[in-house]
Amino acid sequence: MAGVVLRKVVKQFGAVKAVDDLSIEIQDKEFAVLVGSSGCGKTTALRMIAGLEAVTSGEIYIGDTLVNDMAPKDRDIAMVFQNYALYPHMNIRENMGFGLRIRKIPKAEIDARVEEAADILGLGDLLDRKPKELSGGQRQRVAVGRAIVRKPKLFLFDEPLSNLDAKLRVAMRAEISKLHRRLGATIIYVTHDQVEAMTMANRIFIMSKGILEQSGAPMDVYSKPANLFVAGFIGSPAMNFIDATLVAADGGLVIDTGSFRVRAPDSFASRLGAHAGRKVVFGVRPEDIAARAAASVDEGNTFAAQADVVETLGSEIFVHLTCGAHAIVSRMEAPESPLRVGDTIEVQLKMAKTHVFDPETSLTLV
Amino acid sequence: MNRKIVSSALFYLAVAAIVLVVLFPFLWMLASSFKTQVDIISWPPKIFFSPTLQNYRKVFGEQDFLKYFLNSTIVGASAVGLSLVLGLPAAYSIARFRQRKLAVFILLARLMPGISFLMPWYIVFSRLDLMDSYTALILSHILIALPIVVWIMSTYFSTIPPEMEESAMVDGATRQYAFWAIILPLSGPGIITATTLSFIFSWNNFMFSQVLSMEKTKTLPIAVYNFLSYAEVDWGGVMAAAVAIMAPAIVLTMIFQKYVVKGLTMGAVKG
Ligand SMILES: Nc1ncnc2c1ncn2[C@@H]1O[C@H](COP(=O)(O)OP(=O)(O)OP(=O)(O)O)[C@@H](O)[C@H]1O
Ligand SMILES: [Mg+2]
Repeated sequence: MAGVVLRKVVKQFGAVKAVDDLSIEIQDKEFAVLVGSSGCGKTTALRMIAGLEAVTSGEIYIGDTLVNDMAPKDRDIAMVFQNYALYPHMNIRENMGFGLRIRKIPKAEIDARVEEAADILGLGDLLDRKPKELSGGQRQRVAVGRAIVRKPKLFLFDEPLSNLDAKLRVAMRAEISKLHRRLGATIIYVTHDQVEAMTMANRIFIMSKGILEQSGAPMDVYSKPANLFVAGFIGSPAMNFIDATLVAADGGLVIDTGSFRVRAPDSFASRLGAHAGRKVVFGVRPEDIAARAAASVDEGNTFAAQADVVETLGSEIFVHLTCGAHAIVSRMEAPESPLRVGDTIEVQLKMAKTHVFDPETSLTLV
Repeated sequence: MNRKIVSSALFYLAVAAIVLVVLFPFLWMLASSFKTQVDIISWPPKIFFSPTLQNYRKVFGEQDFLKYFLNSTIVGASAVGLSLVLGLPAAYSIARFRQRKLAVFILLARLMPGISFLMPWYIVFSRLDLMDSYTALILSHILIALPIVVWIMSTYFSTIPPEMEESAMVDGATRQYAFWAIILPLSGPGIITATTLSFIFSWNNFMFSQVLSMEKTKTLPIAVYNFLSYAEVDWGGVMAAAVAIMAPAIVLTMIFQKYVVKGLTMGAVKG
């Protein structure tokens, strides 16, 4: 049993509140990802769970134990640091066995566990080298290996992939996910990369400026962001935010951006009704904007826009559109006849997937 | 191209001039220690002369030079050893827990003229009947060595990423064990720098032994000084004694100069 609970945890560095009233609950065996932009307090939160940083106030439980005053060594955790923190004077075998040697595990068993971890991670040939004789990706594996030989109940990862190149990152992402299933342990993983968060997590915790903005399964957070911050943070390219006015017209609600007008689906009415006549922020994900199919019926969800930039990714294209005063990014299937810069196209929004936010509170209305 | 040659020529000329100024007294001393009294005082100075070991024979023969040499070694080594035992953990703590004020305080103790400590020490050590004891001399030399160790090592430790011992602590070590098993093995160059420098400073110190020692624990510089006073005109002997004193410091520096420069500049860049 190694769930982790943070209850109203605060960490203050002088005048800076690095973590502010953070309450999260992580289930046993869960892969939890703390994600947020640089400086939002992710590392600080992780270090408090590890016991490397004392909490200013609040409570941290690992399993059922209150660990506020417990030394890191007694928490039965393993941590992979962003810079790996391999011990330069020890070879890989000694690095990976260090934690076991401290715990006075018999030498034969240490050797067996190190070999096993090295097998899993493909480090077999490197065991007698020093860390400085390894590449970045190999060092990263050693750091993971050093964590898994200990067989702790809880793993903490602090941006372990940020020093790797894009291709290796994708590969390691999959490996760490596999490892999680294989080890059956709880993992708390910190990253500023929302793609890592989305692809690896059972549950993601989105932080900004020391506070928790939203938590949930990746798809829930993606499709039901709680506020403007989360909506803008999750998804790539980022969601388009368009200032608009909500007007009652034609027996329904119309979102009027000044450059184009679209009809809000009837399902929005109950939650938007009270806001008729007010300013709102209209949010559309790039993937919910498509070129209008020739045969489709206009349901009040189309408008014309000019292509400013066309980025081809192969099967998909990113099109930067201009419509009146607004710049909009869309992500659509590559059309048969190539789209040229300057072309005007009809686009169609998947209205049911769009969002409307209150600009004053930043909260999501739908 | 020509300008380059001229400028590098000027550069080496300047270097040569500086080296000459710095080394001249030393070379003069070295040469004189192998000359007879007649050669030393002859004018113009003799550049070519038939070297003699007579001065060295006299120094090591007439004076109990070996005893003073041993005294200096015992005092220096013990003071440096104790300073490392006390200073390494202190420096680590200063580096990791940002106790900059403490570091400055320790440096201040070093910057105060040593003579201001001598009066109280004299009284304390006399009362404790510790005059002319190794204990008193070693304790006084810790004042020389400890600040050097703390100062150099605290800068050195702060260049080691804290994740090193944090990782060890998560892996099951206490902070003390992490310091012992992870940080110290990584600190070789810093420790060599601190040891070499503080030993040399202790070796060269004159004042403390002059006041706190009598015959038993007298250190080398005092011995030379004594030599000077009763053999006033024997320049050859004085020079030979001086060379003998300087030799260990110079040999130490040459052996460890790579580390010393590295250790010092490391502090300079990060300091
Ligand atoms: N030891 C410290 N002393 C003072 N302020 C600190 C300390 N550690 C972190 N902070 C501050 O706390 C805030 C959160 O830092 P933290 O390292 O947790 O951010 P992060 O989310 O991990 O960012 P990144 O993605 O850049 O690693 C920052 O404003 C940082 O400047
Ligand atoms: Mg961080």
